[in-house]
Amino acid sequence: MGITGLTKAIADHAPAAIRSNEIKNYFGRKVAIDASMSIYQFLIAVRSDGQMLQSEDGETTSHLMGFFYRTIRMVEHGIKPVYVFDGKPPTLKSGELAKRLERREQAEKSMKEAQDAGDRESYDKFSRRTVKVTREHNAEVKRLLQLMGIPYVEAPCEAEAQCAALARAGKVYAAATEDMDTLTFGTPVLLRHLTFSEARKMPINEIHLDRVLAGLNMTMDQFIDLCILLGCDYCDSIRGIGPHRAMTLLREHGSLEAVLASLDKKKYTVPEGWPLEEVRHLFKSPEVQDPETIELKWQAPNEEGIIEFMVKEKGFGESRIRGGIEKLQKNMKTATQGRLDSFFKSTGIVSSTTSKRKANDKPAAKPKRGRGGGKPRR
Amino acid sequence: MFEARLSQGAVLKKLIESIRDLVSEGNFDCSENGLSLQAMDSSHVALVAMLLRPDAFDPYRCDRSMPLGISLKSLSSILRCASNDDVITLRAEDPADQLSLVFENPQNDKVSEYVLNLMDIDSEHLGIPETVYDAVVHMSSSEFQRICRDLQQLSDSVSIDVSKEGVRFSAAGEVGSGSIALRQNTNVDSGDEATVIELQQQVNLTFSIKYLSMFAKTTPLCGRVTLCMSSDVPLLVEYKIDEVGYVRYYLAPKIEEE
Repeated sequence: MGITGLTKAIADHAPAAIRSNEIKNYFGRKVAIDASMSIYQFLIAVRSDGQMLQSEDGETTSHLMGFFYRTIRMVEHGIKPVYVFDGKPPTLKSGELAKRLERREQAEKSMKEAQDAGDRESYDKFSRRTVKVTREHNAEVKRLLQLMGIPYVEAPCEAEAQCAALARAGKVYAAATEDMDTLTFGTPVLLRHLTFSEARKMPINEIHLDRVLAGLNMTMDQFIDLCILLGCDYCDSIRGIGPHRAMTLLREHGSLEAVLASLDKKKYTVPEGWPLEEVRHLFKSPEVQDPETIELKWQAPNEEGIIEFMVKEKGFGESRIRGGIEKLQKNMKTATQGRLDSFFKSTGIVSSTTSKRKANDKPAAKPKRGRGGGKPRR
Repeated sequence: MFEARLSQGAVLKKLIESIRDLVSEGNFDCSENGLSLQAMDSSHVALVAMLLRPDAFDPYRCDRSMPLGISLKSLSSILRCASNDDVITLRAEDPADQLSLVFENPQNDKVSEYVLNLMDIDSEHLGIPETVYDAVVHMSSSEFQRICRDLQQLSDSVSIDVSKEGVRFSAAGEVGSGSIALRQNTNVDSGDEATVIELQQQVNLTFSIKYLSMFAKTTPLCGRVTLCMSSDVPLLVEYKIDEVGYVRYYLAPKIEEE
């Protein structure tokens, strides 16, 4: 999933691009969340005794549990989530999907073996790898979100690309996903770990694309080339070129064509019929719904509807679900606190440095203080 | 080299004491225009901008403008070692690793010296546009503090409604609701107690009381406070420090969902 080794490359070369924040810093922000990836995450993570949660008639409910409580947690912190679902996968992804299917089959086999051998630990491990998101999962989650009054968007193609388009158009502040290729799709801000459980106490990592490019000293085109070279979901990468080499090569030659031309063909084999142009095109102008046509609306939850669905159909405990709905309602009713930075624009960063002042350091720009008010003269 | 001697040390003590709960650290900027600070609270809801002009000090010397990264908590614990009537002298070399503080008592027979280690801080600076506000309320700062304290019992939001009759603060919560109305009062004798309103247009805005109460900690610095409001822009709460400076707070309004 995503881009191999991109997180590390960014951490190494553009550390200033990543900032850790607490969830409470995001109040008042609208955030686009990759729902398809979240379903998958919840199916893997929300378990008890290593088994997925099930209703009485044996239907999986891990994903519903995850969406219900994690969404409430965000809403409680004043975040306005909008979920984005995958559409049809792009044709270029078929190779990757075939690989995933193969891995899943492999895992199923190993799971059986482990079960026969009574090896509990590896059985758990492999059973997690066999997880598959079905159409029913998607439909159920959509139904739940609708009842909760949380908007969702059905992407024509990749959900990450749609999230990025929403963020770029300013419809949302950021795209929240673990998939690093959302950056390659051009989201200005990427949030990681937003949908993680509170218990894990993971800070939210906020990655800014402009700072990534500045830190790597690359243009967006070069960044896309770098991601392709590192390895994305849409084509094979070149064997023998890891993150470090990819970076050096691209910095040296400036574009992927120039890198390919310089490569020793005996040492490195470029996959045959490498669909370089198509992949670039996919990243640059992916198939998305025009963000301007999307209207995002957060509404009051349908209490009875949720009870009907979650308690009567899916067998969740009524009191806990009602407690959750109450939290949703409370946060929908109260006026939301505005953010100061949506009124006043940043004019730059002031840095104080002790001792190790850099040689080329310009004298720190004197902050220009707008005389913001006082008594209005008249 | 930066050196500033403040004969009324109490001003600095009260100043730092009043903002330390809102912001934990910040870059103090020393320049020929004086000693200033702009800092946002950690959730980016409120901003404090303060200035002590060179006139506040005697003497004031600043060869080159430089930011001093200061933990307000540490600075406030050092300032607590100064007595209210002490003369405080601040000094920093350029580049600055430390801020030295010297407290001298009025009898001139006791000198205390403290050194504060400075920090590396990257702070975001916001441009605050010049605004002509629709409604400006000048009122007693202790009255304002009292109102915040009282209404905080009821709710976490207060709505402030300014009309030509006066200003009304109201809050509603689970316990019940309450409101306090102050009438325009231009009686010269009432001095610090007078409520004076300059109104272009009626406004009604909702704010978090928690933040207003934090701003109201500045009350000991100044008997008067000015609230400046326009629809859909942050509230400005200003305390003047004699004629030599000010503390201004900006607070983003609460927004009703459409």
